[in-house]
Amino acid sequence: MPSSSRVVTALSLLLVAGAAAWFLRPDDAPNPPDPRPAPPPAVEPVPADLVLPATIDLPDPDPRITDLETVEDKSELVADWLLDFSDKLRRRDFSAAARWFSPRFAGHSLAGLAVGGEGTLHADARKRTWDAAGAPIVDRDRFLAGIEELIGPWTRMESVLWKVKGAEFQAGGGERWGKIKLFLHMTGTRSDGGVSAIGGWAWLRVAREAGLWRIQRFQLTSLAETWHEGPLFTDVSAAAGVAHQGLRFGQPGNQSFAWNGAAGGDVDGDGLWDLFVPSDGRNFLYVAQDDGTYADQARERGVELPDAGTGAVFFDHDNDGDADLVVGHIGWCAGEEGVGGRALALYENDGTGHFEERSAALGLTEPVVAYSLTVFDYDGDGWLDVFACAYGRVAVEHNNSWIEANNGAPNALFRNLGGTGFEEVAERAGVRGDQWSYASAAADFDADGDVDLYVANDYGSNRLYRNEGDGTFRDVAPQVGVTDIGNGMGVSWGDLDADGRLDLYVANMSSTAGNRILGRLGDEIDPEMMALLRKLAAGNTIFEAESDGTFRALPSSAGGVNASWAWSVALCDFDLDGRLDVFNTNGFVTGDLPHDT
Amino acid sequence: MVASSAESQSAVFASQEVGNAAYLDRHNLQMFQDGRSFSGNERDKLFFNRGDGTFADLSDLSACDSPNDGRAVIAFDADDDGDVDLFVHNIQRERHALYRNEIGERYGSFLKLRLSATSSQHEAIGATVTVHGPHGPVAQVLTRGAGFSSCQVPELVFGLGAAEDAEVEVRWPGGSVESFGALAAGSRALLVEGAGTPRPIAHRPRPLPDPLPRGLKLGLGDRIGTVALLTADERLEQVDFASISGGRRVYLNFWASYCAPCVAELPALQALHASGEAVVIGVSTDAPADTQRAHDLFEARGARFPCYFIGARPDPERGVSSLESLIDLERLPIPTTLVLSAEGAVERVVRGPLRAE
Repeated sequence: MPSSSRVVTALSLLLVAGAAAWFLRPDDAPNPPDPRPAPPPAVEPVPADLVLPATIDLPDPDPRITDLETVEDKSELVADWLLDFSDKLRRRDFSAAARWFSPRFAGHSLAGLAVGGEGTLHADARKRTWDAAGAPIVDRDRFLAGIEELIGPWTRMESVLWKVKGAEFQAGGGERWGKIKLFLHMTGTRSDGGVSAIGGWAWLRVAREAGLWRIQRFQLTSLAETWHEGPLFTDVSAAAGVAHQGLRFGQPGNQSFAWNGAAGGDVDGDGLWDLFVPSDGRNFLYVAQDDGTYADQARERGVELPDAGTGAVFFDHDNDGDADLVVGHIGWCAGEEGVGGRALALYENDGTGHFEERSAALGLTEPVVAYSLTVFDYDGDGWLDVFACAYGRVAVEHNNSWIEANNGAPNALFRNLGGTGFEEVAERAGVRGDQWSYASAAADFDADGDVDLYVANDYGSNRLYRNEGDGTFRDVAPQVGVTDIGNGMGVSWGDLDADGRLDLYVANMSSTAGNRILGRLGDEIDPEMMALLRKLAAGNTIFEAESDGTFRALPSSAGGVNASWAWSVALCDFDLDGRLDVFNTNGFVTGDLPHDT
Repeated sequence: MVASSAESQSAVFASQEVGNAAYLDRHNLQMFQDGRSFSGNERDKLFFNRGDGTFADLSDLSACDSPNDGRAVIAFDADDDGDVDLFVHNIQRERHALYRNEIGERYGSFLKLRLSATSSQHEAIGATVTVHGPHGPVAQVLTRGAGFSSCQVPELVFGLGAAEDAEVEVRWPGGSVESFGALAAGSRALLVEGAGTPRPIAHRPRPLPDPLPRGLKLGLGDRIGTVALLTADERLEQVDFASISGGRRVYLNFWASYCAPCVAELPALQALHASGEAVVIGVSTDAPADTQRAHDLFEARGARFPCYFIGARPDPERGVSSLESLIDLERLPIPTTLVLSAEGAVERVVRGPLRAE
């Protein structure tokens, strides 16, 4: 494979994880992957003559398979197989879990290790590390009994993940085996209501035995437990009346990635915060009740339809003192007519929390392929304006670059004409853009009295539109150091280092598969390209504001940024200690199968 | 072989030819209809600011780290107890999640601030509020639409740690900076531009209700009728909870052999059963292959009350329901004990061991 096409493959896999394999692979794929391995029906006993080795040694495969696609196929196969195993452990079905092991398995036990150290992670969250080097070497049955012992105190298993972080396989016609770099992770609820998490790294030797993959060796590198006494958060959705069960993603009626915004505000002026949630089929308006519950009153209050909204914002468009509502709709999954987006919907509040949709009357007829909406008074005229991030017309046109796409749909800026209507002025104001824009956030970052706007873009670099104070904006992202090339999904402003200046948090997409592939490409790509690829795979970015008006990206080693495929971000002081913390939503699409791409 | 940056770039741009959009749509949806994941099961993230330029990832311990596919988030004080709760919109399954913050009060006090501008639009969107807290000045901006498709409520919560008060200043849209002096910890205030002093906002406590355990499909007062269960020797029994009570309360205990706290409380449950004050029924949630192991452990701990196992077929036509209609086997924390009235109605739910029952 010439290296340029190798880079394309890597990039595609990197950017859109394995779905790119679907796009890139012709319908009649010449190299079908191995059939998905099934566990054997019965567990063979550990042989009586099994002699455990004194040490667990795992040499690398030599020669190893080097063809990128072949090794990726195999890695994914083993990864899925270990996810099935994880599922058995999560159910604490140890008999079934035994089928993943060779009867002649030998490995380091996870129980019976000496404590290597203990300390505080943050506040009352504690961390204990175990001495992995001194772990006893045990057979299959004692290995599983060790896991059972380790998680025995937990009242509920929350999650188990044995994840492939790297894999190499033996080339040639002999035994088919591979060496797997494994991240193992298990969480559960403690009897005091807190959560405990056990995580570690290990090497596995997996091999085909009698037509089945099996774990033959387990070499522990590190093992640690973190826990917090008592809960940090409690899921009260059902008790509070907001536990809506939706359709599985991909089914008719739920085929959009986008119908997932939310807005908080006080719709009825009672001083309690209500929630508007656009959705498929119908919208929700959770009106806060005095007893701590919420009542969905979308229908009676007039905001139930149209459905399929994206971003939504409460704001007082006519300065009459109540919370009106604006909702974006990208439309492209709603059928042909929606390909170019749909008009924003503006619902006017009658002062009692009942709404009437007045979009057309207010001149909101221009279609926008809208995701996030940001409301602010960009021209300082005392009336709030609406900025709508526009993505691309996915149904008819794909991004024209993975790195700097410029065929996105145009953003819109609706200038408020004194509460009587809106005019679209994005071009004139200089914020139209041609990127695939997902998210925006407004703040007076340069403290000059007018409100500026950051826009996070997918498949490219971001914009920091500095408000020039004359009704126009100028992109200063390169000058101040916040272009953050990558797959921007979300953005928020907040002072993370307690110096009185607003810092910037940009949420990006990053994928495990991408990082794994980059590790393999190693020296075959020139350093400049590699640096770019690494940035694309790196995840979120924290930009700290400096005293000279520029921003400095924190190194990812500072933490707070590794959130996989991240979307929204909230910067709040969750533990009230006087410092802002970070909450990220994430994940693209979870199927019913445990397997992932 | 080393690809130059330019070569790579042009190859990358050429790759758009395979990015045929209809192809993407078709395959994307097919993939999801097949039940596959695509960066799925990623758990939402909670990072705590350590104050030394680093962050502690406590997601695992947070219980707000849903593996569902999250999009919008509203971080706000839903119950007016001074700390920030979370509402998350997911793309499927349990679409809407509300997480109650349990730690705020443990670590510090707060200021809750709302704004009203007079020289610009009254909502003061874009105003920057700075609170001089225990670790220095912390700035937050009042936004309407940030994150991803998320609109926060127009109220800012500042943590104060152990500080008794903190100086507050506002940079209003238009650029004027106004000090509101020191506000006492625990203040809820409206800051009106030009007023110079904060106006108190009434405390509106509305505690968010306590949830029943996850995985319990019954509510308080619900009656359990006849349930199909297996004995240790795999005999099917139709257990009618109202008729076995003999006029006493029934303690329906869910346990498993791998659960150390469950096994530890078996003797106490036996003592309760033997006292005759109540009827104790055990249900092991062990996988069917582990039934014998669980039964052996049960007997070895001296338990003699009736114990059943999973895997029985229900008979809905005759009013015999499945265990799965009562609980989600994978999600119910164990031990959990349902205290039933003599008529089989759920009176109480005991999470964890019974302790001093």
